[in-house]
Amino acid sequence: MKSTVPADQVDQVDADQEIIARVLSGDRDAFSILIHRYSDPLFRHALGMTGSPDVAEDILQMSFIKAYSHLAEVRGRFDAWVFRIVANGCKDWLKNIRRTHLSYDEDDQPTGYANPEEELDLTELRSDLDRALQTLPVSLREAFVMKHVEGRSYEEMAELLSTTVGALKMRVHRAREALQALLEEKYA
Amino acid sequence: MNLDDMYEPNRRDEAAREGGKQSGENNAPLADREVPLPPVATLDHVHRWLDGEAPEPTGLRGEQARSLEFWHRMEEETDRRRRVVTPPYLADRIMAALPQTASATAIAPWWKKDMNLSPAAVVALAVGAFSLGLIAMRLVTG
Repeated sequence: MKSTVPADQVDQVDADQEIIARVLSGDRDAFSILIHRYSDPLFRHALGMTGSPDVAEDILQMSFIKAYSHLAEVRGRFDAWVFRIVANGCKDWLKNIRRTHLSYDEDDQPTGYANPEEELDLTELRSDLDRALQTLPVSLREAFVMKHVEGRSYEEMAELLSTTVGALKMRVHRAREALQALLEEKYA
Repeated sequence: MNLDDMYEPNRRDEAAREGGKQSGENNAPLADREVPLPPVATLDHVHRWLDGEAPEPTGLRGEQARSLEFWHRMEEETDRRRRVVTPPYLADRIMAALPQTASATAIAPWWKKDMNLSPAAVVALAVGAFSLGLIAMRLVTG
């Protein structure tokens, strides 16, 4: 199959490969470039999936340590590879939390909003959306978070999750309908 | 020469009341004189708008209008979440927790790894294979 990777993405892959080569040859500090480059979208994913900033931080930390330990195994895009590690970390955490019926602190709210006053006004909507997201099956939540919170295209999502655009559209549409059914009465 | 007649509809009503004959234009089917309404948007239009595949639907009523309003509110929240950044201390925390060296070699599955055998192990394997061969031959020949 012919690959149609955009030129800027090819440059990015090359730049990442260069950093990986530096890290593998002993330049440990070079790994921080990769952390800074990719941590924001990965953090948003983990936060959207778990609803807890503390858990999202832990998942990100474990994922980057795992990535560092297996760095020689990277083939192709580093960002896609590390995304899969984070996504699996989130799924494992969700599986464990269901099994043990542990509940994390519901007051544990996302951090990093631009304006604290704005944050206060929207606390209710935020926590309602978080609660509604937690009720969705993992695959629907994942698709919704990637589309609406991370702002990814369906094509990019399909590449990262190794599935089809049609299947993802279906998941996002079902997630929207479920969220609307849960929250519409209060917010429409 | 044709002139616009603002009072035409009134006259038409009068003519109807009087039971008089109507002009050919007035006999035109009702549909020809109606302003077409915009197509009624469905939930699918809202999905297509949210997917960035269609402009924001207009002229929605009832359930669809509520749906649109709802997604406007949700988009405000998801936009805010899209601006969330990693806490500044996290990168340092991760760097401090890394092992001293990254694995320079890929962890290969056992069947891809190089095999090191001592001469004694090679002799033992050869004797074993020869014995198995003899047993198999006896079983086949009876």
